[in-house]
Amino acid sequence: MLELHDIHARYGAITALRGISITVSQGELVALLGVNGAGKSTTLGCIGGVMRPWQGSITFEGNSLVGKPPEQIARMGISLVPEGRDIFPSLTVEENLRLGAYVRSEKGEYRRNLEETFELFPVLKERIEQPGGTLSGGEQQQLAIARALMSRPRLLMLDEPSLGLSPALVDQIFELITNLHQRGVTILLVEQNVERSLEIVDRAYLMNTGLIESQGTSEQLRTHADIEGIYMGVKKQPGK
Amino acid sequence: MINLEFIINTLSLGSLYAMLALGLVIVYGILNLVNFAYGELIMVGGYVMFLLTAFSPLPWLVVGILAIGAGMLASLFTELVAFRPVREKSLTAMLVTSFAISTLLQNAALLIISPRARAVTLPEIFQTSVMIAGTSVPWRNILTIVTCVVTLTLLTLLLRHTVLGIALRAAADNFKMTRLLGVPANTVISTAFAISGIMAGIVSIFWIGRSSSVTPTIGAPPLLVAFVACVIGGMRNLTGAVVGGFVYAIIISLLGVILPPGLVEFREAFMFVIVIIILLFRPEGLIRSKTSVERVG
Amino acid sequence: MKLAARLKSLNTPLTLVAGILIIALFTQLAGISLLTRIVTVMFVSLMVVLGLQLYMGNSGILNFAHVGFMGIGAYTAVLLSMTPQAKLLTNSGLYPVLAPLHLPFLPSILIGALVAAALAAIIGYPLMRLSDAAAVITSFAVLVIINVVMLHWDPVTNGPRTLFGVDYRTTLWMSVIFAMFTIVAVYLFKESRVGLRLRASRDDRYAAASIGINMMVMRWLAFVASAFVAGMGGGLWAHFITSFSPYSFYLSETFVVLAMLVIGGPSSVSGAVVGTLVVTATREALRAIENQINILQIFPQGFFGFTEVVLSIVLILILVYRPTGIMGNHELHWPRLRRKTDVVELNEPKA
Repeated sequence: MLELHDIHARYGAITALRGISITVSQGELVALLGVNGAGKSTTLGCIGGVMRPWQGSITFEGNSLVGKPPEQIARMGISLVPEGRDIFPSLTVEENLRLGAYVRSEKGEYRRNLEETFELFPVLKERIEQPGGTLSGGEQQQLAIARALMSRPRLLMLDEPSLGLSPALVDQIFELITNLHQRGVTILLVEQNVERSLEIVDRAYLMNTGLIESQGTSEQLRTHADIEGIYMGVKKQPGK
Repeated sequence: MINLEFIINTLSLGSLYAMLALGLVIVYGILNLVNFAYGELIMVGGYVMFLLTAFSPLPWLVVGILAIGAGMLASLFTELVAFRPVREKSLTAMLVTSFAISTLLQNAALLIISPRARAVTLPEIFQTSVMIAGTSVPWRNILTIVTCVVTLTLLTLLLRHTVLGIALRAAADNFKMTRLLGVPANTVISTAFAISGIMAGIVSIFWIGRSSSVTPTIGAPPLLVAFVACVIGGMRNLTGAVVGGFVYAIIISLLGVILPPGLVEFREAFMFVIVIIILLFRPEGLIRSKTSVERVG
Repeated sequence: MKLAARLKSLNTPLTLVAGILIIALFTQLAGISLLTRIVTVMFVSLMVVLGLQLYMGNSGILNFAHVGFMGIGAYTAVLLSMTPQAKLLTNSGLYPVLAPLHLPFLPSILIGALVAAALAAIIGYPLMRLSDAAAVITSFAVLVIINVVMLHWDPVTNGPRTLFGVDYRTTLWMSVIFAMFTIVAVYLFKESRVGLRLRASRDDRYAAASIGINMMVMRWLAFVASAFVAGMGGGLWAHFITSFSPYSFYLSETFVVLAMLVIGGPSSVSGAVVGTLVVTATREALRAIENQINILQIFPQGFFGFTEVVLSIVLILILVYRPTGIMGNHELHWPRLRRKTDVVELNEPKA
């Protein structure tokens, strides 16, 4: 469904991605893991049209994404929930969701999607008329994800959804992601929380300073990848 | 003397200034762009009124509507031709561009029409008054207040109950995120500029209604008022612009009464000192918004 | 050894100064009075543009009040340099206390610059605390307010009427010498610790703050220095043109100075120089055309504003197609345009 091939990207003089290749198939839950600065968010940014890679290709269901503006990519069915939630603080919960459904044109559909959203996120129904800025961190994260789902995306991309949340809320979020996965939503997840991520994903890529160090199923990564090394900065000793 | 006449005059002035400030802030809120050419949109409205009243038999209502339309078109035109190409570059480039367009439009009017003031034939109603509670109130003032109320209502309806309006407000919060939800950047920005132009057109009718003539430089004084009103009110939101407009009107009217004859011409300078003082204590402006602009120090 | 190294680091200002001298010599030798006039004004304008570069190029913030300070320098300088009789002749309502003040030319200019700087110091303090957009707007308001004050303070400025009778003191060589010194001074500021810190904090104010750079103070210093240069330029200009009014220091002048800097390239001192040269040449050519059309009476109602229309279109085109100006971010070097010395870009990516 989604294919990145040899993506290179940079911020001014700083190289962020040095040749990334990733695939995501329909219905999969795939994670990009790694420490800060590894290039995970940059990768999502390239897919979502926020950044433009200077080399490499990105295709989604056969269509090239490189060079297209974010609004067009959204209309193709890709929904990005950026790091930091980015909900609209001065808009109410309902208005946030309404805008999430922007790419969907049918009136009846909006009502239906809203009802389904409230089933998944009951707390949002409670707060429906409140401005987004008054919600707590966890609620905002839920709103951000709910908003992204309003467009019935074919690919949902989440950038560090557990960032800044208390352990209980982190549980909730990961449960939610699993739930969505079971309902058939294709998800590309960026996370620093390796353990929790590996518990729920089909496959994962381990990134380090703009490259993919290892990839595979959770099992494969746990046994063969030097996860500790990447996070601790110490390389595994060969033969260990 | 603070009497009914003074109050109505001030309300009328405040209404005018509020609409003026609104037109400026709506573009600023989304693009962070201070549109220096905004004053010239008023000038364009004025010249359209001049040309139509001098050379065509159209009734004043039509002339007014066409002036508003001209303001909107001029605004959209400048966005398309001058701001869109520079938008991706930097804010400073956009600011200088807007200043260049301001100069361009002013001098184009100079070149094409004349450096001298041109008289605009005003509708009868602008010259008549009505008696309220023993005071003679010019119809023009009442119309200004009414127009302001109507405009604010319509704008609020647009912003709260239409998807486009919601998108505009969202763009003011977070432009990038709005695009990520599939809202086309150009649509949002053009709409903002269109509204800005419409406001300028409306303001031009009442501004010229006070002086009954138009010159190439007529755009500078309202631009300054709009600027100051926005800065006082807080650049980030529409409520602030409206409040700023009224506050400006109140202060400057009070200064006009309080200051002795020798100092009255320096009203604007005093106004400015007051504004500086306000900014010293509240650099974000009077109206707190949830996402205040970052301060430097 | 030390001298050679010193000279090498001063390559840019020396190159620019050499260029200025060559132009001046050529003008002197040509002996055409119109050309001498144009070139003299150009060098005075150069001072003002350099002053703006000092602030804008290093802080990245637009300052619309700049020519207002030029005006303050001009009015102050002439109030001091004119004889009491001359002053009263042009401004019968002059404050009596101002009449007897009489100083030689250079001290008058200097005090004019100092007054401008002092005012900038006061106004600058609240200004620096504002966010970028509010700062730009407020600087614009400052320009307007200075204009309002000049227009209405009759006992000092003669109000909207022309103030005439100023001594002609700014000859070609006077303006050249001042321009040269200004080039060196502005360049030294750019490469000084204040200049470097200012540009660093432009990029990332948090990183800069964390290593102890106080951006507000740096900006304020640049603002005051910039006003000083503008004030000095104003004094010089007043003694060239010998009669002026408040309208000489308002929107049209602001536009021209801004055009000169932006077209040349606001990030570099060379940009200010090149821009002033290019714009002056263009303006004079366009003005000649405009005058010719007016003489021939091709348009009955007069042909005015042509120069400004063309210039503003050029400015917009530069901003669209080459926003860093003619010089890009580079300074001139001898030998020709060696790559990349410096400065941070005017081009910030949006989004």
